Parts: sequence; C-alpha cells; structure tokens
Amino acid sequence: MKKLTLSMISIGLLLTLGACSNKATVSYGDAQEVETTDLSFGSTDLQKIATEMTDSLIASAAVDELVKDGRPVMYVERIKNKTSEHIDTESITDSISTKLLRSGKFRFVDMSRVQDVTKQLEFQNDGGLVDPSKAVQFGKQTGAEYMLYGNLSSIVKSNKDKSDVYYKFTMRLMDLESGIVEWADETEIRKTKEKQGWSW
Amino acid sequence: MRKLVLIALPLLMLYGCASEPDTAGIGTDPMTQGDNYQDYLKVNNPELGKRLKITDVKSRKTNEFLEVNLQLLSTYDKTQNLQYQFYWYDADGFVIEPGKTPWKAIALHGQQNLTLRAMAPVKNVDKFSLYVREVPKEVYKFED
Repeated sequence: MKKLTLSMISIGLLLTLGACSNKATVSYGDAQEVETTDLSFGSTDLQKIATEMTDSLIASAAVDELVKDGRPVMYVERIKNKTSEHIDTESITDSISTKLLRSGKFRFVDMSRVQDVTKQLEFQNDGGLVDPSKAVQFGKQTGAEYMLYGNLSSIVKSNKDKSDVYYKFTMRLMDLESGIVEWADETEIRKTKEKQGWSW
Repeated sequence: MRKLVLIALPLLMLYGCASEPDTAGIGTDPMTQGDNYQDYLKVNNPELGKRLKITDVKSRKTNEFLEVNLQLLSTYDKTQNLQYQFYWYDADGFVIEPGKTPWKAIALHGQQNLTLRAMAPVKNVDKFSLYVREVPKEVYKFED
C-alpha cells in the first residue's frame, strides 16, 4: 500500500513537471503594453519619447504664439543617435511627426522623399507622356519654416548583480529664418536589470 | 512528515508554473471636465486597490487640447512597478485613436504621491479615462 502511494505521488510529480516543461508558444500581444524583455531601447521607450515630446510641444506657450497665424510648416531632421546601441532613430522621428501632424497644429515637408518627388516631377515635365497643362510644375513647393531636431544619448553602468541604462532624449525647434530656438525639451528613461533569487 | 513533503512539493511546483500575472487594475470610468472623480473610480483588482489610490483628478484645455492631471498615492511601503494608460473619447463617447495610446511604465516608491499628466492627441476630445495595472515581471525561462 505504501509503495502504491509513493508511486502515485511520483507519477503526479512527473506529470506536474511535464506540464511545466519548456514549450515555446506564440501569441499576439498588446502593441502598446510595457515591454521589459531586456535593457536595450524598446517599443515602450520609443512610445514614451514620442508621446512626451508631442505633448510638451503642443502645450508650450511658445508654440501657441507660432500657430496663431496658421499651421506652421516644419521638417524633422534625423535624430542623432549618440548611444552605443543601434537604434532606428527614423522610427522615433516618424512617430513624433505623425503625432504632430494628427494634432492638426502643424504641417510637414518630408525631406526623406525629395529624390522620389524630383523623379516624379521630371517624368511629368520632361517624359513627354503627361499632358503639359496637367503636369505638376517645378518650383511650387512650400519651404519649411521650422526645423525639429534632437539627440538621443545614454549612460550604461553595470556590476555583477545589476545593470543600469539611462537614456536622455533632447529635442529642439528652430526658426529657420532667424535661427532662434523657439522650443526645447528633454525626457529621461531609466531601466534597471537586477539578479533575483528564487521566487514563486 | 515525508508524505507531507511529497504532497506539498508537486503542489508548490504546480503553483509556480501556473501563476499567471494578474492584469486587472484600478482606474476611472470615462469622465469629463468638472466631474467629481470620486463618482467614477473603479477597482477591478482589490489587491492592488489596497496598495494604490487615486486621490485627485483635474483637467483643463491647453491650446484647445484636453490636459489631465491625476494624483496617484501609494499606501504601500515597497516600490511598485506599474503601467498606466489614458483613453480619450469624443462628446458621443466614441474612443479616439483606439489602440494608439501607449501604456507608460512608472516606479511608484513606498508611500509616494505621484502626478500623472497627459494630453489628448487631438482637439475634439471631451472625455477621458485612466487605467493602472502592475507590470508583470519577466521570467527568463527560455534560452532560445
């Protein structure tokens, strides 16, 4: 009887272990959820930077002055990555410009598509296929009045039990005619990874 | 005694493997400027509700955009790793830009009173709501 009980318990233990075995599963998650997979720059950091910079720009008194006479035209300079990581800063730029554009306060010119636009206008004007009266003319585009630019830097520190990374994102808005910086703000992120003992 | 250990061990292991993070939290129902926030509070996670309180909600229009200021108070002595999300609604109660407002992470220290501030992404926002929940701790089980 004792042997039977012991073998039943052993089977139970094995079944329990079997249920917990390392099985990889795939599932769809919330794209907006806080992600803490590792210390490197992640989606939560990108979303935090984009939201905070947009909110700050929209709420600033200086920008309130700028938008009084209509929606100013801006262009976003590529964000300089001064961290030791490879970060797609164009993705940060895209998120910020999309949010600002959707706010209805600003308009943008896209410098990353200048070559494609030139090619299309050359085709319309010189290709001989497009009716000249319907071709979009050269020299009619609007120039940007303001430039949005920024830096992303980091400080990384670690010892045998703990790693810490600190990101600082600075952004500025410059009046292209006068060279005056009309608005600036920065946001900080700190992420820590610590060794943990056994816990359930 | 040996029997007890043999029975307790698999149960503990089962608990350890099956423990899913609790993703319910606390928050507010959609409310508009001037509403008394206490009428809109909701607690879906009583355990978190004991450790975390919403103590004030203010809102105003800044440059035509709805801006919200919300006070969060920890009634717990240890640091809590939390995430919060604001939701925005138009006058008819329709969600604005669903699925586009990110969850933001915060570390709320013991007994800390923290102000959360957020701005509506577009102008035609009339109502807002907030939800706060814990950040599930990442457990590194897989090597692949």
